[in-house]
Amino acid sequence: MSNLLVYSRSRSTSVEQIDDQTMLSSCRLQDTFTDAYVEIRVQLPELEIIEITSEFNRTQQNECIDVSGAFQKLKGVRIGSGLLKILKGLVADATDCKQFGFMVEECCHGVILSFTKDTMMQIPEGQEVGAEAYKNMVKENIRLYNRCAAFAPGSSMVEGIDPP
Amino acid sequence: MLKFKRNKLVSVVKKDKDTLLVHGVLDDDVYGLELDISFKISDLEIIKIDGKWNRFTTPECPRATQFLQEAVGFRVGEEGYGQKVFKVVGRKSCRHYANLLLECSHSAKEAVLVIKYQDAKKDTPELTFDEFVAGTMAGTAAGAAENTKKDDPEKSSDKKVVDEQKSSRKAAANKKSKTISKKKGNKAPGEMVIDLHVHTSPSSPCSSAAVGDLIQEAKRIGLDAICLTDHNYVWDPDQVEALRQKYDFLVLRGNEITTKQGDVVVFGMDKDIQGILDISELRQEVEEVDGFMIAAHPIRGFLVFGASQVGLTPEKAMERPMFKSVDAIEVLNGKVTEKENDFALEVAEGLGLFVTGGSDAHEVLEVGKYATRFSEKINDEKELVAALKSGNYSPVIFRKD
Repeated sequence: MSNLLVYSRSRSTSVEQIDDQTMLSSCRLQDTFTDAYVEIRVQLPELEIIEITSEFNRTQQNECIDVSGAFQKLKGVRIGSGLLKILKGLVADATDCKQFGFMVEECCHGVILSFTKDTMMQIPEGQEVGAEAYKNMVKENIRLYNRCAAFAPGSSMVEGIDPP
Repeated sequence: MLKFKRNKLVSVVKKDKDTLLVHGVLDDDVYGLELDISFKISDLEIIKIDGKWNRFTTPECPRATQFLQEAVGFRVGEEGYGQKVFKVVGRKSCRHYANLLLECSHSAKEAVLVIKYQDAKKDTPELTFDEFVAGTMAGTAAGAAENTKKDDPEKSSDKKVVDEQKSSRKAAANKKSKTISKKKGNKAPGEMVIDLHVHTSPSSPCSSAAVGDLIQEAKRIGLDAICLTDHNYVWDPDQVEALRQKYDFLVLRGNEITTKQGDVVVFGMDKDIQGILDISELRQEVEEVDGFMIAAHPIRGFLVFGASQVGLTPEKAMERPMFKSVDAIEVLNGKVTEKENDFALEVAEGLGLFVTGGSDAHEVLEVGKYATRFSEKINDEKELVAALKSGNYSPVIFRKD
């Protein structure tokens, strides 16, 4: 039976802007063991989590059947500085269902990436102007320097920019 | 209309007795990438990894693929595996590759469970998957590890919420710090310049600076003292005293504590806080020992977009619960942008809170980038807390090089 899959997984994260002040981010996971859905409602401009819901329709982990204890703890968390550490600590305090924590994380990443997309849309087309725009981005926010291979020393994106 | 969508797909096949082949795809509005990874079934070690970009942003993103090789030899399930992937693959290669690698790794781990079940069924055809999982969980160290984290009373944040702020603190908050000086930190006679925010290795896993090296560098550049503010870490007072003696330099203790609302540098408290407290709970703890709280880098935005893009104004930020609980705001922090520091200053001025500066050094050469100039002599932690409460200080840009 070679080449048959022993396991498969799909995870889909979607972000909607409900109104000027509210975003809805959801994550659906379907794999060999699990069918789950997590949704967070986020308020602008603080990107504060104001509501969480989840459903675990199929899971091998008993601790994932009811994760509602974590909802209240996560309300009020801002998607921003130190997010992963805060989420990890709060979720671990409330439930042993690690998958729930991953799914909240994915929802939050989706919100951040939606703003990243907005920024990318403003970058002019054409290789040279594009490269210059990225360089300016590093100059504006030096935290980007050496953040990944694209902004590491040796990359044209940081050429001529002093390390922090 | 959707604003953003990300899809990830992972497929796992058993290549031979001890090899799993995992194919992962990540496709979203911004990025498109794929991974092909071979894992050893016996210990889930990564033996081969290849990546491919389909869509990316910067012209240099393709450089990331070569650094995926750093993950060869990593074993899923080893202690700190996720952290290692974030640190090594996420930083040297690309965080989107790291995200997909973790998805593939978790899938590989679950695939091994399927394979083991199929093997077990050969001996016991009537074995159900639930029975198999229950047996595996009960009978193995791995299963036990999955279930180890139970309620720990020490970590419980089920504490009384403090609704009221002490009137004395409010009164102090209303007195604006006398000077918000961003001038270079030259010292006048009788003044002291202290870096209030420094991280050391290994007490802060994110720091690469040995404490001795930091102290020597602080002395070299002319600081009068540094405060060790490692993350949720309480330094042993005897150890710190030994450092003072050894280097003939004033070393003080603080603690950068993560709360639900963000990081806070705390002085005058010895209690070891673990887990994530609400800011009001931390306030209560600090008030009990008459300590002092500084909101650390309170306006730290994202990598490619800032506060203005999400519509955040200083006036709106002033409403944060964080600012109702702290005594001061760090308005010069070495790890944020100038704009973010300026934003924090506007918030502090608007609220009338005291303002401080600290390098937030994680490397030796970062110490003293920013600091706080006190108008009086400070000899120990008690005097530091008293000086902080007095408001007679200002943040300074200190490091010249």
